[in-house]
Amino acid sequence: MPRSSPPDPAHNNAGRSVASVVVSVEGLHKCYGSRPAVAGLDFRVSEGEIFGLIGPDGAGKTTTFHILAGVIEPSGGQVRVLGSPPREARERVGYLTQQFSQYPDLSVEENLRYVAGLRLVSPALWRERRTPLLRRLGLEPFADRLASQLSGGMKQKLALCCALIDRPRLLLLDEPTTGVDPVSRRDFWDVLATLAEEGVTIVIATPDLVEAERCHRIALVQQGRIESLGSPAALKQGLGLSRLELRGAASAAAEPLLSGGAIVDVQTFGDRLDLLVNDAATGEAQVRELFRRQGLPLQELLITAPTLENVVVISQRRRSGELPLLPFPGVQGSRRRRADPAIAARGLSRRFGAFEAVRQLTLEIRYGEIFGLLGANGAGKTTTIKMLCGLLAPSSGEIVLAGESKLLRGPDLLRRIGYMSQKFTLYDDLSIRENLEFYAGVYGIPGPLRQPRIDWVIASCGLQGQEQLLTAKLPGGWKQRVAFGAAVLHDPEVLFLDEPTSGVDPLARRQFWSLINAFARRGTAILVTTHYLEEAEQCNRLCFMVAGEKVIEGSPGAIKAAQPGQVLELVLPQDQLQSATLLLRRHWQPWRVSRFGDRLHLVLDDPEREVEGLQLLLSQAQLSLEGLRRVPHSLEDAFIGTVQRAQAREGEGR
Amino acid sequence: MRRILAQCRKELLQFRRDRLTLGLAFLLPLLTLLIFGFAIRLETKVIPIVVQDFDRSPLSAAYTDRLFATDQFRPAPWRGDDPVADAIDRGLAKAAVIIPPEFSRRLKAGQPVEVQVLVDGTDTNNARVIRNSIQGTTAFFLSEKELLTNPPPVQALTRLWFNPGRKESLYIVPGVYAVVLWIFPSLLAAIAMVKEKDKGTILQVYASGIRAPELLLGKALAYLLVGVSMAVVVMGLGGLIFQLGFAGDPTPLLVGTTIYLAAAVLFGLLLGVRSANQNAAVQGVSLVGFLSALLLSGFIYPLSNIPPPLSLVSALIPARYFIVISRDAFVRGTGWAGVWLDVLMILALAALLYLVTLRSLGSLQLADGGGGGP
Repeated sequence: MPRSSPPDPAHNNAGRSVASVVVSVEGLHKCYGSRPAVAGLDFRVSEGEIFGLIGPDGAGKTTTFHILAGVIEPSGGQVRVLGSPPREARERVGYLTQQFSQYPDLSVEENLRYVAGLRLVSPALWRERRTPLLRRLGLEPFADRLASQLSGGMKQKLALCCALIDRPRLLLLDEPTTGVDPVSRRDFWDVLATLAEEGVTIVIATPDLVEAERCHRIALVQQGRIESLGSPAALKQGLGLSRLELRGAASAAAEPLLSGGAIVDVQTFGDRLDLLVNDAATGEAQVRELFRRQGLPLQELLITAPTLENVVVISQRRRSGELPLLPFPGVQGSRRRRADPAIAARGLSRRFGAFEAVRQLTLEIRYGEIFGLLGANGAGKTTTIKMLCGLLAPSSGEIVLAGESKLLRGPDLLRRIGYMSQKFTLYDDLSIRENLEFYAGVYGIPGPLRQPRIDWVIASCGLQGQEQLLTAKLPGGWKQRVAFGAAVLHDPEVLFLDEPTSGVDPLARRQFWSLINAFARRGTAILVTTHYLEEAEQCNRLCFMVAGEKVIEGSPGAIKAAQPGQVLELVLPQDQLQSATLLLRRHWQPWRVSRFGDRLHLVLDDPEREVEGLQLLLSQAQLSLEGLRRVPHSLEDAFIGTVQRAQAREGEGR
Repeated sequence: MRRILAQCRKELLQFRRDRLTLGLAFLLPLLTLLIFGFAIRLETKVIPIVVQDFDRSPLSAAYTDRLFATDQFRPAPWRGDDPVADAIDRGLAKAAVIIPPEFSRRLKAGQPVEVQVLVDGTDTNNARVIRNSIQGTTAFFLSEKELLTNPPPVQALTRLWFNPGRKESLYIVPGVYAVVLWIFPSLLAAIAMVKEKDKGTILQVYASGIRAPELLLGKALAYLLVGVSMAVVVMGLGGLIFQLGFAGDPTPLLVGTTIYLAAAVLFGLLLGVRSANQNAAVQGVSLVGFLSALLLSGFIYPLSNIPPPLSLVSALIPARYFIVISRDAFVRGTGWAGVWLDVLMILALAALLYLVTLRSLGSLQLADGGGGGP
């Protein structure tokens, strides 16, 4: 349940009654040529606060970070960082750029020492700080490793290490967890929470709305302006809506019926329906009535608070409206169901020199199925997808793609598969229509179908009237949509989507998924990679990869159900969360305790027996437990649990 | 100062790690030295010529032998009776000497003889060398056979100083030092600077609070050290291979080389700052560096031959001054008295390069539109 009052960062820490303003931004403007990137930002960040900048690509977040870090001059407005202009405050500010900006050809230690030198950390202080800092971020064993050989998560930890060596008072973090695996991501946030407790102010951008819940306050940024600003709880409350979670066998069938009345929004998540309603009671009555009338089973109806994703989507929708889901022209009904697998791979491996990018991977994907391939950057997702669609020869293993096992690049087969890569596949110097016409030609789409399909893409993307625009001028998210359109123009039987939604804002991401769902319903086999765990919920089945190997496979529901133990969700006052986390981690294995948004998750094997001890423990530590309930495992819980149990087993085996 | 050292240490670490830069610093300079040192010969030797002897007397045969007695000429494969113009047309011979039928008789009678010499003038330089050489040989032949009617009243007696054996490597190799020690240090420095942009690490540098002179001096110091070790290797091995020793006081060379390397590194850093990516930087340095150090420096073509507007450009090229210093150290040996101005000129140019680079670095911020992103 949302708390009654939003947390006030000024009274966050005991012993500090009045927090000083660390960052103050008034009427900030920045134009690149005639294009405004930031169009009037106003916000203040207090000492010890974690302040989130949330928004789609191109919203002006990176520019704001550049300005706060003093590496670019604003075009207008007042910016004060630690009481002085950003350039003069540089020595007290740590900055993690969006792109990894430590030196890949230097070791962890050498990188750190270099920054220490630039920051004029004295040799005595260096000796004093080096080891504790490396230890704190878990990098101590890797001090001699070259930065280029670190995983995505460790790279970000190194960057944070470098930023921390001079004990900055302000940390600027521009999407530090993008492409980082969930375990490292959680570690990273735990470190941030501790730092904030110690009085370090943090301004952070993230595309992940689950993560954003861990900020004290967030600003939703759109087109260089702040749409709304407040604590996550206040924003969710400000929406004035309640969320209903529905579970039932026929949820997909019920979705089109759920509209009007109290219902504001409906979204399918695998086997679950999420509803936003104006009023919880009337909404519930309306849903129960509908299910009863239609004779549909309703296993569970849960009334909860809206999520940040709801907040963002609703506010975006108020602004830009929703795109229509149009029928794909030239195809009647769905493809005939086929029993044979669309994609099958057995013992697939790929080595690059000594490095094994993919190890013994076995997959089978049926027609009409959305299969999610998950993993951090470098886990082998893109290599896998490239092998499966014949762009890269496997070192060993077999592949059957749409019934074909040899000649994966044969012209016949190529016409039956669609591929959308991570990088944009569109030509920047062609207009949108020219791009689509080009792809229509390449795929040999019959003449009479060409125009309707191109029109379909343009209408589905909401780009009518702008089809002569150069593709280069489109923001990232829009480009992705057009690229998706180009990949499905020829109505492929098998569709490969490599991170189709990276850099796409939540509303567009949703629209993307309804398109993907529509194709799957018509019998297209879809393989999609993503590193958003929340997105994985949309897949029928998924496979999680770590370092080239399959770690978990199954439907989201099955994966969660297979997790041992029970997740308890603990609600505590914001300022007690950190100490509670540390306390619980001393009593249970660390992987069992995690911050989940602004709440705590604790995995217990036998909650009946252990709950009393938990309550006692918290009350002895003067921590006030405001809420305690059992929740189903989230995919994140499942993933982190699986990986950490595997690591623990490995550790014991040694 | 501590920031400069931190920057310098980091650059050296990165330099050591990268096989490409190591190769650029030691392998390629040596290769260049060997290629230039062995392959460039301004003076052509063993030129193929045709001698068509219509006289066929002992005297004409003696004249022919005299022509081939030096290693300057060799007989071209050509039958004596065919028109010699064809041999030149086909490129088989660079020159043809036609001895008339009455050669021997007329000479003995004290009458003038005209020996026709046809020279391929395509390569003007060599044509002149061939002409002079044939004239010289002819004069020598005449005096040897005591056929000169009346010796000329004035005779120029020439002595070659500094390089009496006309060893060409003595001329070329000190010049190669100038080329090698200009191109490679600047290439390395340019790569080091532009790599920060390519990899995005420049943002971190900007945000760290380092000041532009510190950044510049840190990088310059690192690559100056690299350049000095390169100079030791190249000059050391060059001296062994081409048998070059100091001709006089080596201190002008030591001082001059250090300043020259600093100028080269600063030049590379300047191009690195100005280029958007590594390709552009490498191409810029190679093109500008090679063109200026090879063509406008007096390495091959005499500076005095460069016409006025271009000669002003050549005055701005440090290599031109360094070549003077280097040739003096290894060939002339006049010491400070001969080269102090050249050392000062390089120093002035290095200072100019430093100021221009510092200006280009600006306030260590992102330019609007460049690399800004959304």
